[in-house]
Amino acid sequence: MKDQIISTYIKQCLEIGKVPSNVYAFAKVLGMEEKDFYTYFSSLESVEMAIFQYWFEQVKEQTEKSEIYAGYSAREKILAIYFAWIEALKGNRSFVKMLFDRKQDHFPIPKFPSFLKLLRHDFIEWANSITNEAIGSKEIEDRKFLSEKYKDGLWMNFFFVMNFWLKDDSPNFEKTDVAIEKSVNLAFDLMGKSPLDSLFDFGKFMFQNK
Amino acid sequence: MEQNSIPSSKVERAMRFVKTGAQIGGNYIKHYSKKMLDPSLSKEELHEDNATDVYNALSELKGSALKVAQMLSMEKNILPRQYTNKFQMAQYNAPPLSGPLIVQTFVKSFGKAPQEIFEQFNMKACNAASIGQVHEAVLNQKKIAIKIQYPGVAESIKSDLRMVKPIAFRLLDMNEKELEKYIKEVEGKLLEETDYELEYKRSIEISQACAHIPNLVFTKYYKEYTSKRVLTMDWMEGLHLDDYLKTNPSQVERNRIGQAMWDFYDIQVHELKSVHADPHPGNFLMQENSKLGVIDFGCVKEIPEDFYYNYFALLVNELLEEPGIVKRIMTQQEIINTNDTKEVQQIITDAFLKMTKLLATPFVEPYFDFGNNEYIDEIYALGEEVSKMDELKKSKEGRGSQHALYINRTYFGLYSILNVLKAKVNTGERDWKTALFNYHKPQLAAVS
Repeated sequence: MKDQIISTYIKQCLEIGKVPSNVYAFAKVLGMEEKDFYTYFSSLESVEMAIFQYWFEQVKEQTEKSEIYAGYSAREKILAIYFAWIEALKGNRSFVKMLFDRKQDHFPIPKFPSFLKLLRHDFIEWANSITNEAIGSKEIEDRKFLSEKYKDGLWMNFFFVMNFWLKDDSPNFEKTDVAIEKSVNLAFDLMGKSPLDSLFDFGKFMFQNK
Repeated sequence: MEQNSIPSSKVERAMRFVKTGAQIGGNYIKHYSKKMLDPSLSKEELHEDNATDVYNALSELKGSALKVAQMLSMEKNILPRQYTNKFQMAQYNAPPLSGPLIVQTFVKSFGKAPQEIFEQFNMKACNAASIGQVHEAVLNQKKIAIKIQYPGVAESIKSDLRMVKPIAFRLLDMNEKELEKYIKEVEGKLLEETDYELEYKRSIEISQACAHIPNLVFTKYYKEYTSKRVLTMDWMEGLHLDDYLKTNPSQVERNRIGQAMWDFYDIQVHELKSVHADPHPGNFLMQENSKLGVIDFGCVKEIPEDFYYNYFALLVNELLEEPGIVKRIMTQQEIINTNDTKEVQQIITDAFLKMTKLLATPFVEPYFDFGNNEYIDEIYALGEEVSKMDELKKSKEGRGSQHALYINRTYFGLYSILNVLKAKVNTGERDWKTALFNYHKPQLAAVS
């Protein structure tokens, strides 16, 4: 039933050009009582959240089961998920665009899009496991306090890629491919060992031995 | 307009009628020579310094901008040969594609990952091509090569070229209209190179038309695994020119390869009127039994009919001796124009004919020995002489057919490869000369 609610919701949005106005109206389209709707979702917003969560789950599952994925480095794993994610969104670009373009009520401060809440939660959980793996394999540096923030940084990166893709007008979204490749490489270079680490290390030594 | 100045590039254009790469010194070098003139420096050193300047300036450019700058400087002959050779291998400046991006490119093109299509697929690129990278794979137990293009190349070509314009102005001292014409031509060609489907089509056309040439081999392409950004072909064995020469091939073997190369170009230019316009050593593989393998059909120049008949007419002796015809051709090629005074026209024509006769030598004799360094030196010497002509230094503007750009480059490449190969080639009697002669025959009758 959940699946059906989700697909009907997307269909409704696309065909009418805006989100259903309230649960009552949407439940009617589904041919169910409003109270029955609440057994599955608590609000229309939570349907939207579930959509993105569901997609991410699928992308992860599909990507992780491919043979080459296992042999990838952490950097490549992230790239693979990003590419697959954008590929998955492509099929629903109009819907995604519509949600992102939706006027934010919380004027003047744009609020973080609420429909991404669950996606964000799941992504960060996944990113955490990947960065831990990368720290283990020495692909990136373990830094006090900062390491904790890596996963949030990756979420910003992921969010940036989605926004970039929504504005991308190049054929086949080729520019998004470049944006993914370059931004993930940058993220990894920033998280990796850098001259700053050596500088900090040296500074500490000098401070302790003056 | 400027009655007493002779557009230098007109004469220069005349000189590269069949491209030589001769050093004749453009305005940039002249200018800096004066500025940097130091009595203690020998002329060679000075020259070397200037060339280093240009080289450094060009090296700062990347990707396609570099390629344009390189071609334009060859055009103006402001770079000595050792530098232009370096630039010939100039490559698009991009980091290698990550594994997931390779998979992504395949999925976008064919709906499948490379591992699902090929029995084996090496994720590590074995070679960087000019705008992509080459992977080794196995298909039906056969070793194949797959060229994968970097994403967004076409976009960056356009923005690179916007960037190169101001630098080109400074470096080459050409006027805007002139430059625009050349840049358009180069841009068109570079953008074509980003379309692997087009490359596939052209490689099939050219290899079929040239299949009968002895000792020439082409590779097999796979249409089903070719898309705009992926090109799949059989792996071609063979050695690049440098490595081949290290095996000490005999004169007979070298001649055989040189002949295959010459015939390959002869048929393309004069029969197909569409030519593989990128003859740098990286695009050829020398195989056992002295066979020549041709790879990479990214850069193909289609030669317009009227350009062809005028450009190559002067390879026909009978036409070269008729001043009326020569003038007509020079005008059509925009090497001289009606604004020029009689004297100016005469000087240009004389210089033009002198260069043409020299550069067309291989076409006139039945056999030509490209290993003959005396011939190459003679071209350099004449180039030097022309560059010292006082009138030339005054000029600023230049005109000429943009089609000549790639044709010149083609012959420049061909002559230099044959020179390195030291091949003696049968260049003489060819049927196309009759066609060229007949084309101009009515005019010949009219002027005499």
